[in-house]
Parts: sequence; structure tokens; C-alpha cells
Amino acid sequence: MPDLPSSAWMEKYRETVNTDPEMAVIGDWFTVDFKISFEGNDFLISVREGKIVAIEHNPRFDRPAAFTLRAPMSVWNKFISPNPPPLYHDFFAMLMRVDEFQLDGNTLTTMQNARALHRMMNILKQMEPLDVAA
Amino acid sequence: MSQLNLGHEEIVGRYINLTSDGIDYRIFYEEAGQGTPLICLHTAGTDSRQFRHVLNDPDVTSKCRVIAFDMPYHGRSNPPAEWWLKKYRLTTDTYLNLIHDFWLAIGIERPVVMGCSMGGAVTLGVAARYQDEITGIIGLESAAFAEGRDNDFLHHPAIHGGELAASYTYGLNAPSSPEAGCRENWWYYSQGGPGVYKGDVYFYCEDWDAREDIKRIDTNRCKVSLLTGEYDYSATPEMSRAAHEAITGSRFTVMEDIGHFPMIENYDRFRPYLLTELEQML
Repeated sequence: MPDLPSSAWMEKYRETVNTDPEMAVIGDWFTVDFKISFEGNDFLISVREGKIVAIEHNPRFDRPAAFTLRAPMSVWNKFISPNPPPLYHDFFAMLMRVDEFQLDGNTLTTMQNARALHRMMNILKQMEPLDVAA
Repeated sequence: MSQLNLGHEEIVGRYINLTSDGIDYRIFYEEAGQGTPLICLHTAGTDSRQFRHVLNDPDVTSKCRVIAFDMPYHGRSNPPAEWWLKKYRLTTDTYLNLIHDFWLAIGIERPVVMGCSMGGAVTLGVAARYQDEITGIIGLESAAFAEGRDNDFLHHPAIHGGELAASYTYGLNAPSSPEAGCRENWWYYSQGGPGVYKGDVYFYCEDWDAREDIKRIDTNRCKVSLLTGEYDYSATPEMSRAAHEAITGSRFTVMEDIGHFPMIENYDRFRPYLLTELEQML
């Protein structure tokens, strides 16, 4: 069974994003709801002006998201690691070279917010690994 | 190289006016050192500032006259006349002719040509086309054929092109590279003109295919060194290895803990690789 993110882990992620000094500089225009999908377990991340205001686990279908970042845990575990292997070391690297990492939805919105989203992904990458053996 | 030495650096910048393919250009270049000319070609959408550590390295400038120029549309080199009437799309021929015309214009002979990314790619073309006029090439993150970096968002009215290009390329740094170097490169990317990165990517991902041309390179006439960072996912080590295997007598090294921008993301790490290749080339 994959080590899926717990509520506490996601709450820690929220705190880290919301206290990140760089997000405070670049996040003013980052207002969007998007999903991160860990092997089919979806987390709806609601961001307002660069701060995560809510995280909802497996939201109902009536909770739209602008875009979804989707991958199996085998991919996320390589990404969320102190020493990620090449191709798994960055959000854009995976988007280009890892077929199992997928971006669905409004890609224009995604790229309009590339700087802040990339920062949020880099914070995610630096979280405590979900798979301690990874 | 992170320590800031107060006072002037040895680098001096100049402009030169030249004609290439019948088009007049005003080109900015900066240089330092004396010896074998070492021409440095920047990556897509940026400028010669990426080579400031090479230009400031006494172990390089004691042997080489290091010269880094900004391509037209980049840095402090102007676009040509009536640039507003034509979409910027760099082509292989334009690029090769410009590099050649630049070194002729500044009056140097038998340079070593070093470039990174699209500059690294085109060094392969320089070696194929001008192998009797150069000492050799040092291709950083070189590929004879590279697909996959183009997308329409790179020049889009609803997207800040500078921030996107800078963020899009930031992940090409190795995870262990010092943040200051990676961020400096981000800044350079963010300063590119509208559509310039996309116009360079057109060369790199659409027009460029040197897989047949590089088979003509004779390493007895010009030396070929290829250096590629293990974390480069644009020009991957496998892509550079393919070029290496097509050029008999070429050298190829995968640089550990380096990404796509060795000369700016982590110069201390890159430096021994560079000095090794210069040593065998000069």
C-alpha cells in the first residue's frame, strides 16, 4: 500500500507554503483551486493571493479545479526526496520527461502562474519524504 | 566564485558593427584574458553574462582570450533594422553565419568555440562547417537533435514571458547547485525580449538537426569535447552521448551534480571539467 499523504502532512505543507518568504513576494496574483493527485487520492488546494486557505481530500465532483497534477506514488516518492534522481528533480522536468506525471485541465492558468506554482512544487519537493525507504 | 572581490573586474565590454547574410548588426561582446581565443555562446533567451565566471577565472584567462557575445535580440545586442516587421525565428544558417562573421569581424583566428544548450548544439555545426578554421569546440549540454521544448505559452499575451521562461528553465539546474547561481540565471532569463526565447527554441527544437553533418567532423582537424550535466533533461546525457558516438575521436564526460547551465549554476563544480578540456585542447 503506498504511503499516501496524511492530513497532518498536508497541513504541514500548507503551513510551509503560507510562511514561505518567497511566496509572500510572488504570490499576490496566485488565486486558484487546483488538485494534486497522489495515485488517485486527490487533494483540492485552494489558493488565495499566494496562501493556501483550504485543502480538501477527495473532493466531490461539484468542486471544480482549474488543473490537476497527477502521478502515481512511485513518481511522487522520487520527487519528494532529499536526493531526487534526474528527471524527477523538478516539476517541469517531470512534465517534459516523465510520462506518468500528467497535467490536466486549464494549462493556460497553470502557465500564467508558473512562477508561484513552481515555488509551491519546490516546497512540496522539500517536504518530509512520504516513503521513508525511497 | 561566490566571494565578491571589490573593485573592477577584468572583463571589458565593447560593441562591434558587422554584416552577416547581408544584414547589419550591432553586437555587444565582453572579453578578458590573452591567448587562444575562446568564444562563448550563451543559451536560448539569455546573454553573455552567463559566462562571467569563465571570464573572471585567471586559470582560464591566463591561457585564453575569452570572448562572449550577445546574439542579436539578446542582452545588449540590438535586433536588426525593422525587427518589428518580422517574427524572430533563429535558424541554423543564420546562427552559424553570425558566429563565423563575428570572429572574422573581431579579427581572431583558430578559436576554440564553446557554447551551452542551443550554443552547445551549434558548436557541433561550427565544427562540421568550419573545422579547418578553428582549434576545437567545447560543447556544453550539446545535442545534434533536440525536440520538446517548444510551446505556444512561451510567447502569449496572457502570460508574462520572462517569468515563464525563467521558471520553465529553472528546473534545468541540478538540485545541489548553489541557489545563488541558479537564481542569477533565472534573472537573466526573465530579462529576455518578447518572443526571443521562443524564437531561439525554434532553432533548437525545429530547425536544428545536425545528425548527418556531425559525421563529417574530423577530430584531427578540430578537437571536440562534449560536457553534459547529469541533471540536464533538455539535452540529456544520452543525447550528448549520441553526438559523441557519431564523432570519432571526440571526448565526452557526464558532469555529476550539474544541470543544463554549468558555467552559471555551479561554476566551482564545472571548473575542473572545463580546465581539463582546455588543457587537452590547447
